[in-house]
Amino acid sequence: MSSTVRDPAASPLRRALALLGPLRDADLVVVAAALGLTGVGLVAIHSAKAASLAAQGLPATLYTGRQAVAAAIGVVVMLVATLVDYRRFRPFVPFAYLGTVLLLVLVLTPLGTSVRGSQRWITLLGQQIQPSELMKIALLLGLAMLFHETEGVPGLGRTLLAVGLTLLPMGLVFAQPDLGTSITYLFLTGVVLLVSGTRVRWLLLIAVSGIGAFLAALRTDLIRDYQLERLTVFLGADAPDADLTGALFQTRQSMIAIGSGGTYGKGLLEGTQTALSFVPDNHTDFVFTVIGEELGFVGAASVLALFAVLLWRALRIASQALDRDAMIVAAGIGGVLVIQAFVNVGMTVGLMPVTGLPLPFLSYGGTSLISWLGMTGLLLNVHLRSRQGLIGGRW
Amino acid sequence: MTRALNVPDPQDRTTVLRLAFLGGLAVLLLAALLARLWFLQVLAGDRFAALADSTRLRTVVSAAPRGHVLASDGRELVRNRPALALVADRQRLVDDAGRPRDDESERVVGRLAVLLGLEVDDVLGRINDRRYSPFRPVPVAIDVPEEVLLSVRQNQELFRGIGTDTIPVREYPEGDLAAHLVGYLGQVSREELADPAFAEYRGGDLVGRGGLEQAYESDLRGRGGQQVLVVNRRGAVIDVQSDRAPVPGLDLVTWLDLDLQREVEAALAEGIVASRSILRSDGRLLPSTAGSAVVLDARTGGVRALASFPSYDPREFVGGVSVAYWERVNDPAEYQPLTNRPIAGQYPPGSVFKVASGAAMLEAGLVGPATRVGCPAAYTAADVTFRNWNPVGEGPMDLATALKRSCDTYFYDLSFRLWQQEQRQDEPDEVLQAVARRFGFGGRLGIDLPGEQAGVVPSREWRQEFWLRYREGYCDRAETAEPGSLARELLVDLCRFGGLWRGGDAVNLSIGQGDMLATPLQVAAAYQAIANDGVLMRPTVGRELRDAEGTLVRTIEPEPLGDLGLGAAELAAIRDGLERVVMEPGGTAVGAFAGFPLDAVPVAGKTGTAERDPRVPYAWFAAYAPADAPEVVVVVSVEEGGGGSQTAAPIARRILEHVFGIERTTEVGFVPGPEILD
Repeated sequence: MSSTVRDPAASPLRRALALLGPLRDADLVVVAAALGLTGVGLVAIHSAKAASLAAQGLPATLYTGRQAVAAAIGVVVMLVATLVDYRRFRPFVPFAYLGTVLLLVLVLTPLGTSVRGSQRWITLLGQQIQPSELMKIALLLGLAMLFHETEGVPGLGRTLLAVGLTLLPMGLVFAQPDLGTSITYLFLTGVVLLVSGTRVRWLLLIAVSGIGAFLAALRTDLIRDYQLERLTVFLGADAPDADLTGALFQTRQSMIAIGSGGTYGKGLLEGTQTALSFVPDNHTDFVFTVIGEELGFVGAASVLALFAVLLWRALRIASQALDRDAMIVAAGIGGVLVIQAFVNVGMTVGLMPVTGLPLPFLSYGGTSLISWLGMTGLLLNVHLRSRQGLIGGRW
Repeated sequence: MTRALNVPDPQDRTTVLRLAFLGGLAVLLLAALLARLWFLQVLAGDRFAALADSTRLRTVVSAAPRGHVLASDGRELVRNRPALALVADRQRLVDDAGRPRDDESERVVGRLAVLLGLEVDDVLGRINDRRYSPFRPVPVAIDVPEEVLLSVRQNQELFRGIGTDTIPVREYPEGDLAAHLVGYLGQVSREELADPAFAEYRGGDLVGRGGLEQAYESDLRGRGGQQVLVVNRRGAVIDVQSDRAPVPGLDLVTWLDLDLQREVEAALAEGIVASRSILRSDGRLLPSTAGSAVVLDARTGGVRALASFPSYDPREFVGGVSVAYWERVNDPAEYQPLTNRPIAGQYPPGSVFKVASGAAMLEAGLVGPATRVGCPAAYTAADVTFRNWNPVGEGPMDLATALKRSCDTYFYDLSFRLWQQEQRQDEPDEVLQAVARRFGFGGRLGIDLPGEQAGVVPSREWRQEFWLRYREGYCDRAETAEPGSLARELLVDLCRFGGLWRGGDAVNLSIGQGDMLATPLQVAAAYQAIANDGVLMRPTVGRELRDAEGTLVRTIEPEPLGDLGLGAAELAAIRDGLERVVMEPGGTAVGAFAGFPLDAVPVAGKTGTAERDPRVPYAWFAAYAPADAPEVVVVVSVEEGGGGSQTAAPIARRILEHVFGIERTTEVGFVPGPEILD
């Protein structure tokens, strides 16, 4: 145990290394899965962009490089989120929530940046960030804190407050418009309510009223035409006269790219549909098509397996968590991860309508990657505390 | 040991249960994705791979230059020239229903219609021509004036979707010369495209129709080039996956002599037109509706010239024939100019057939070359009287003289006797029919031109089949015919005994009448065999195929079809008779060759006047020259042209004059011969 004995004569470097000591107990499976997914994402983004960038005379690694920088930042964020005891975060959670909501409001002002009709980004300290991704963490932490204080079954007041805390950012994100992400918040809250012990009949009631609200929104101008078209076209996609050049084009091309990969794929950087950009946005929301085409069923299933591993660890960590809020955070991360992956991959294989939603860890986009690596850090954090709780260590 | 106060360790059972429930839901979602991926990639992967290719690859076809058609001396009869054309981008201009895709397209189509002087619907019809692939520009107007092309080029913003192009089209340096031989090009039809034989063709491709263009289609066509391009989502070309250069079609070198062809066409046309002013002995003018002329190489059967009157202009077919012209060239009232009469016209050969029946009588042993048979004005067999063309009886004569005088009764007598012999046989050997077939009658000769007809050599079997097919009609008509009339008697007879080969049939066949039919080409081939020491050659137009550089690729060898089977003495008797037809006083063609330098170029020939009631007889003349060392065979036939000596022989004479470089011995192109209706 000599390494844990503090030596006053130790160099500053040694002390700094000592800070990392708790990492000995880190859940290496989670680390490996998260970094593995990030790595696959970098490769896929590179493959998606290399050919078209080269054709434009730009360096082939332009996007890959940017994403690698985001990954590096993400790893630092993950370390910090792991090492700082989550219980120390608690006082700051309300401010984080309110601050992110404020960013969401600012996105809608002229300060926000718009791409193809969607105003989702804001420039902060010279960096373009997507607050709706950060909001996912802020909302999760906020809800966890809300239910942390409860004994047993949460009361009606807290439940309604949770719904309110969700609807506020949902509305703001929906206004960008970003239907996919705002619905993710809804799923996130659903997961939190489920694991925090909310009565089943209330859960059902909330679900029913949510669906009712959505149907009502269809009758108003709240849902935009193209969003509705994507949904209705999707439902009739198999009709023989379906217009494959319009709203279904992307889904169709995406399915062709993935399907043409076959069992073993065409090989890295060998994807024809990928290289020729037949699938629009194949470095961001449709990055899974690159994996499907170039790595085949084997590669695509492996990515799903990595998501399944993270889910399994997240739920295991949740069940071993020392605190209620920690349990909620861990379960929420696992649940949202799988739901978001399902909505995204489902869209690329024609199981779900097209909504703008990145694939966790893999899609190009710094904010998304950093926030998912940050959430991984939180997961490791919860795990570390429970390990230390059990073995009596402390920090 | 510090512990959070409010959380049990481990999590309470409800929470664990709920976490498990969440896990189960999530696993279900992942399983759904996995199943979907299994379907897309493993089960349907091949189908999607094919779809990926089809979205990524575009095939662009480039036409191969079509081979030229050359005369034997290398002069061009058909070649290609680039034509200026306006082409339309169908996908851009019209929707799936063929209507203008948007307002702009409608305006473009409208402007184009004004520019071309067409109706808007016509322009739309051309853009929507489904024979063209939507991926290729559709030609809307070919051979447009330069200024029209320029106005489209300079105002592209007004003509979006309309482009300009040069398209190779057929050019005929000799005009309408040898139109029937050349044929024309037409677009491959949808029915043909469905045929495996046309697997290499695509909508909009041209295919040879008629003549050499059709017969040598596979050689002339060449092989189209094919480029498989890799395109991106926007259709921009990224790469060339494969590139096959077009292989130009082969040039066809023919046996044709263009100067001779021109002279033959002129002699036929002018002769026919001039003969229409001949007053017949019955006081009417000759109709001379149409005719044929064939010139064969006597040794090889090569076609030196082939003419059909009336003719048409193949240039009318370049870029698509108009409906009006198409109807005109097929109109019976215009005598169907599109019909290639030398090979597709079937006529009773009349007396030109006597060479075959004479050979048959020799073969049957009824007579020797010197045996004399009477030539009375009429011959009666089985109570029916058959008349000679000459109302004055002539004395007994040998075969050569019978040919010279074209004596019908000589052949009647022998043929009837032959028929009587055959009637006593269990299986009649039908020598006359067998010999006729050896001369090339009664079957296609296999000339390298489409549309050749077989003609008819009537036999017992043929008669039986024919009767079985038409008996009901005869019997029905016999019922309704006026009782006691001659017509009724005839129909009743046909109804009951029409299947029998009777003596009268044999008598008629011996002078090329009755049911006998032959094409002018068959007659020419028969005389070619006589001129070629009894060896019948397949008449052939093509001689060689050469590639675009002029290198010989294939020689079309002259092909013997068979031997006449005549002994030297027999053949000599026939040739002697044919020489005396032209060169000995009293011969039926002597008048037509008056003044022709027969000493320098001896000519052998045979006249024929074939009856086809109720029409005016068909005129025939078949000849070869020089008679002692034959080089060419010339056959002329004129529908309703009266006597062979009268109309056909003078035309043949003019052709022979050209062949042998004889200065025109008559002042005008056509001097009618004497009216001998042999």
